Amino acid sequence: MNVTAYMSSLPAIPGIVFSTVGAIIILIVAIFLGKGLTIYLQRSLKDKIDKGHLDIILKAGYYGLITLVIVAFIFPLIGIDRSGLLVTGGVLGIVIGFASQSIVGNLISGFFLVVERPIKIGDQINIDSNTGFVEDINIFSTIIRTYDGLYMRIPNQTVFTSNITNYVANVTRRFEYVVGIRYSDDADKAIRVIRGIIDNEPFALESPSPSIFVDTLGDNSVNIVVRIWAPITEWFEMKTRLLWVIKKTLEEHGIEIPFPQRTVWFSGEGQTGKLSGKEDNYLPEAENDGLPALQEGTR
Amino acid sequence: MFDKYTPPFTINYKGHEISVEKEQGNLIYRRTCEYETIEKILLEADGDFLINPIEPVNLPKPITSFLLIDFERPVMISPGSKQKIYLTFPVEMGIFITGKKGEHELIDILTLNRSKYTLYGDPNRGMICRYWKSEIFTSYPNLDTRYEGDIELDIINDTNHWMEVKKSVFNAFGMKIYYGTDRTSMRAFMRIINRHLAETGFMTYTTTPELRRSMEVYTARKIMLSSIKGIMEHGI
Repeated sequence: MNVTAYMSSLPAIPGIVFSTVGAIIILIVAIFLGKGLTIYLQRSLKDKIDKGHLDIILKAGYYGLITLVIVAFIFPLIGIDRSGLLVTGGVLGIVIGFASQSIVGNLISGFFLVVERPIKIGDQINIDSNTGFVEDINIFSTIIRTYDGLYMRIPNQTVFTSNITNYVANVTRRFEYVVGIRYSDDADKAIRVIRGIIDNEPFALESPSPSIFVDTLGDNSVNIVVRIWAPITEWFEMKTRLLWVIKKTLEEHGIEIPFPQRTVWFSGEGQTGKLSGKEDNYLPEAENDGLPALQEGTR
Repeated sequence: MFDKYTPPFTINYKGHEISVEKEQGNLIYRRTCEYETIEKILLEADGDFLINPIEPVNLPKPITSFLLIDFERPVMISPGSKQKIYLTFPVEMGIFITGKKGEHELIDILTLNRSKYTLYGDPNRGMICRYWKSEIFTSYPNLDTRYEGDIELDIINDTNHWMEVKKSVFNAFGMKIYYGTDRTSMRAFMRIINRHLAETGFMTYTTTPELRRSMEVYTARKIMLSSIKGIMEHGI
C-alpha cells in the first residue's frame, strides 16, 4: 500500500478539531507570553512601585495580553465574527471611554508620577496650595497628611498637571529675615552682632555662606536682610528660634527695633513748628497726656 | 581623661562635671556644664564606663556621617606623587557603658569645640558635612588633645598634573581613631583621580604601638548600608 492510499484510508478529521487544537496552542503560547511579560514587568518595576500596586499592574498586563490574543487570533480561528464585536466593542468603548476618562487619566498620571518621581513618600510638598507630608502614592491618587494633621486625597491627574513644590528634594535651603533698626543705630555694628550669632549657630551653614546687608532705608527703620542656608532637616527649627535670639542680642548691644513713627508738622499763625526729639520742642499737651517720647533718629 | 572608670566616680573636665552614682542597684549618670545638665538612670546596670574619642560628626545632633576638613592653606602636589601631611580634627568624646561580656552602649557625647556644618557640592546633589578648618602641618603637631586630634593624611596624586587640594571629606563609617595619654590620631589617605574627583579612606592600623583603638559609634553593622569610603565628586 502506498502512502497516498494509506492517507486516503484514514478517517477524515473535521475542521473543528483543527480549530480547537489551534486555539488551544495559541492560548498556551499567549499564557507563556503573559508569564514572560509579567516577569519582565516585575523586574523592571519592583524598585519603583510598591508590591500591592505592582501586583495589580502585573495582573492587568497578564490578562490584558491573553484577552488581546483571544480576540485577535482565537476568535477568527473558531469562526466567531469579530465585526459584530468590533461594532459592539466600539460603542462600548466610547461609553466606557467617556465614563472612565478621569479614571484613565489618573491611572496614566499615576504611572508617570512613578516614573518621573517628583515626590516620594515622606516628602514635604505643596501641590495646588495643599501642603503637607506625602503619605502614599497610589495608582489613582496621592495621599497627603497636611500640617494640620488632615487626610487629603488628591487625584493623580491633579498632581501631575499642577505645580509641585517639594520642600525636601534638596539637601539645603535658605531662609530670610528682615531686621529693622533705628536710623541712629550703627548698621555695621548690627551686622557684626548678627554675624556673630550666625557663626555660633551649628546648623547655619558655613558654605553657602550667610549674607547680611542693609537692604532698604525704610520709612521707620534701616532694614537689614539676613539670609541663612541650613540643612533641610533643620531650617524650620532654626528659623523659628533665631529671630528672637537676634532681637534680644541686638537689644543687649543697644540696638533697637523701632516701631512705626511719624513726624507731624503743624502750620501755626505765621510760623511753622516741627516736633523733634528735643524736649524743648515738645508740645505741652503731648507731655501732659503722657505720650511716648519720640525716639532718636526718627526725625 | 580617656580611660575606663568604675562607678561611683566624678570627673571634672574643663567646666564639665561627669559623675556616676550608685542608687539602690541603679546607676545615675549625670553631666553638668554651664549651659546644660544631662541625667540618665541606668536600671540595674552593672558595668564600667569608658570615655574615648569618637567620630566627630555627632553634635549637636547627628545629621550626617561626613567630616569636611577645610585647609587653611591650599596644598599643591606634583603628578604621580604621594605626600604626607598632618591635619587636625575636632575631638568628640563618647561616654560608653560596658558590660561584663564586653557589650557596650553609648550614653552621652560631649565636645569642647564649636560645632559647625557646611554643604559640600551644590544644594541639589551635594551633601551636608561637619565643618572643620585645619592648619596644614608637615610633621606631627603637638595638639591639645582635649580639643583636637591629628590626621596623618597620605595624599596620592594619580593624575598627570599638579593638583591643588583645599579640602578633604571623610566618611565616619570608615574612621579608625587611636588614642593615648597625649595623642588622639587617625591615619587616612586621599587618592586624587582628577581635578573634581577624589577618594578618601582610613588605615585600620596605627604606626604608634602605644595608642589604643577607640570604641566606634559608626560600626561595621551599618557598612552594609553605607560605603566606608569618602567620595569627593564636587571638587578637591
